Amino acid sequence: MIRKTTALLAVGAFALTGCTENNAAPAAGDARHLAVTATDDSCQVAAATAPSGTVTFSVTNSGNKVNEFYVLGSDGLRIIGEVENIGPGLSRDLVLSLAPGEYFSACKPGMVGEGIRAPFSVIDSGEQVGPAGDDKQFVDQASTAYAGYVKDQTDQLLAKTQKFVTAVKAGKDDEARTLYPDARMHWERIETVAESFGDLDPRMDAREADLEKGQAFTGWHRLEKDLWPARATGYTAMTSAERAKIADTLLADTKTLHQRTRTMSFTADEISNGAKGLLDEVAAGKVTGEEEYWSRTDLYDFQGNIDGARVAWEGLRPLLKKKDATLDGQIDKEFANLQQLLDAQKQGAGFVTYDKLSKEQVKDLSDAVNALSEPLSKMTAAVLK
Amino acid sequence: MLGNFLIGLREGLEASLVVSILIAYLVKTNRRALLPRIWAGVGLAIVVSLAFGAVLTYGPKGLTFEAQELIGGSLSIVAVGMVTWMILWMATAGRTLARGLRSQVDAAGESWWALPLVGTLSVGREGLETALFIWAATRAAGRDGQSTTQPLLGALLGLAVAVVVGWLIYRGTLRVNLSKFFAWTGGFLVIIAAGVLAYGIHDLQEARFLPGLNTLAYDVSDVIAPSSVLGTLLKGVFNFSPAATVLETIAWWTYVLVVTPLFVSRLRRYHTSVTPTPATTASATPQAVGDPS
Repeated sequence: MIRKTTALLAVGAFALTGCTENNAAPAAGDARHLAVTATDDSCQVAAATAPSGTVTFSVTNSGNKVNEFYVLGSDGLRIIGEVENIGPGLSRDLVLSLAPGEYFSACKPGMVGEGIRAPFSVIDSGEQVGPAGDDKQFVDQASTAYAGYVKDQTDQLLAKTQKFVTAVKAGKDDEARTLYPDARMHWERIETVAESFGDLDPRMDAREADLEKGQAFTGWHRLEKDLWPARATGYTAMTSAERAKIADTLLADTKTLHQRTRTMSFTADEISNGAKGLLDEVAAGKVTGEEEYWSRTDLYDFQGNIDGARVAWEGLRPLLKKKDATLDGQIDKEFANLQQLLDAQKQGAGFVTYDKLSKEQVKDLSDAVNALSEPLSKMTAAVLK
Repeated sequence: MLGNFLIGLREGLEASLVVSILIAYLVKTNRRALLPRIWAGVGLAIVVSLAFGAVLTYGPKGLTFEAQELIGGSLSIVAVGMVTWMILWMATAGRTLARGLRSQVDAAGESWWALPLVGTLSVGREGLETALFIWAATRAAGRDGQSTTQPLLGALLGLAVAVVVGWLIYRGTLRVNLSKFFAWTGGFLVIIAAGVLAYGIHDLQEARFLPGLNTLAYDVSDVIAPSSVLGTLLKGVFNFSPAATVLETIAWWTYVLVVTPLFVSRLRRYHTSVTPTPATTASATPQAVGDPS
C-alpha cells in the first residue's frame, strides 16, 4: 500500500509543479511560436531567435522517417526539451520556458546520431522566466552561458595568436602590429579566468615593469616591445631566433590555456566576482595607460575587460533582476555610460592610441569605471541573497 | 505510414506483453473471475492516458518536458517494482498451485488492487506518450489540405498488431504446461522488467534528475537502427536501446543479476519440495501466496 501511495503522491506532485503554458493558436507573426519543418535530411526552424519566455515549437515531420526535435543548451549536451515520436506527416508541439541565452535546435531523423543542429538564440524580453524561487535554473543558465563564452573567447584567442605568431616569425611586423591588439582583446575579455592559471599568466602576460627579480621577460609584452621599440631607449632588437622562441612559447601556452578552459564551470559568485575583477583590471592598468606601454593600444584591452564584465553581468541578470532590480538598473546605466565614452575613442575597427587621449578624457573614463565598479561590487552579495 | 505503424507497434508491445502474460497466468490457474480486475486496470490506464493526452494537447496548460519525463520515468520504475513482485509471487504461487490447492489460493484473495495495478502500470507507463502521439495524429488527420488520415491509421494499425501479438503470446503460453509456463514467462518478464528499469533510468537522466545522459556504454545504432522493424521489436519487447548510457546498462545488469537468482531459487524450491514429498501438500498455507505489501 505504501508503494502505491508514494507513487500516486509523486505523480501528483509532478503534475502540479510540472505545468507549463500551452499557447493558444499562434497569431500570425508571433515571435514566440516557431514552426519547425523536419525532413529526413533537413531541419528548418522558422527563426533562429525568439524572445525569452514561453516559446512553442510546432514541429512538422514532412519526411518518411520518425523524427525527434530537441532544444539543447549552449554546451550542446544538456537537453532543455524534446519531443519524440513525431511520425511522418505528424505535427507535435514542444512548449518551453526559455531564459535568455544561446541554445541549439536539433532534429533527429530516424532517432539516431547527433541530429541536424543549428544555433538558436533567446533574446531577453524582460519577462520573468521560470517559476519564482527557482534560482538554481538561473544560476545554471548563467554558468553554462559563461563557460560557453570563455570557451568561445579562447577559441578565438588561439586562432588569432596563431596568426600573430606566424606574422612575427615571418618578420611581417606591420601585420603583427595590426594583429596584436585584436588578438589580445580575447585574452582581456576572460582575463580573470586566464589569470587563475598561476603558471601561465606570468609567462604570457607579465609587463616588464612588474617583473620580479630573476623572472624572464616573455609573452605578449616581450613581443610588443620588439614590435614597438619607439619608447625604449637604447633597445637592442631581438634576433629572429629569439623572437621565434618567445613566439612559439606564447603559442604553446595559449594552447595549454585553450585546453584547460574546455571543461571549466563557474558558480554564480565566481562569475560575479569575475566581472568585478575585470573592472579592477581596467582601473589598475588600462585607464592609466600602463598595460600597453610600448604599443599604446590600451583602449583595446579596456574594451576587452568591459566586454567580459558585461557578459558576466548579463548572464546573471535574470537572477539579479529578481533579487535587486534597482542595482541591476544602476549597472545597466553605468555600462551604457562607460561604453559611450569608449565609443567616442573608436577609430575604424579599433581605438585611438592611448597618447591621443587628453587628461580630461582619461579622467572621464576613470570616473566612469569607478561609477560602474561601485554597483558591480554589490552584485555578488545581491545574487547570493 | 510505416513510421507511424512502427511507433504504434512499439508502444503497443511495451504495454501488451505484461498484460497478456498476466491474463494467461490467471486463466491457467483457473482464476478467470479475477480477469475483470485486470481489464478494469487496463481500461483505467487507457482512459486516464487519453484524457491526459487530450488535455495536454488541446488544453490551456501542458506538462513541462521535465515533468513528462519524470512521470514516465517514475511510473516505469514503480512498474518494475510491481512486475518483480509478480514474477516472484508467480514462482511461489506456482508451487502451491501444483500441490492442488487452487481453492485455497483463491480464498487467500490477494490484495484487491495488486493485479489491476500491475495492469494499470504496464499500460499507463507508455500511455501518456502514446496518447500524445495519437492526438497529434488525430490533429493531422483533421487538418485541411493535402494531409490524410494515414498517420492515425498507421498508428492504430501498429497498436492493433501489438494487441494481436500480445494475444498470440497469450495463446502460445496457454499450451505449455504449468511449470514450464512459470519458468518461461517468469524469465521473459525478468528481461522485460530489466529493460523497463533501464528505460526509466534513461527518462530520469533526460529530465536531469540523474546524471550521465551523455556517458554512453555502447552505441550500435549503426547496426540496429531504432526506426527499423528489428529496432522497433527489440525496443517494444525488451526496451532495448541501441545507444545506452552507462547508468542504464548498470541498472539493467544489476536487475538481471539480482532477480534471476531469486527467481530461480524459488522455482527450485518448488521442484525439490514437490517431487519427493507430494504428501505434504496439505501443509501449504495460504500465506505462501505472498502478500504484496
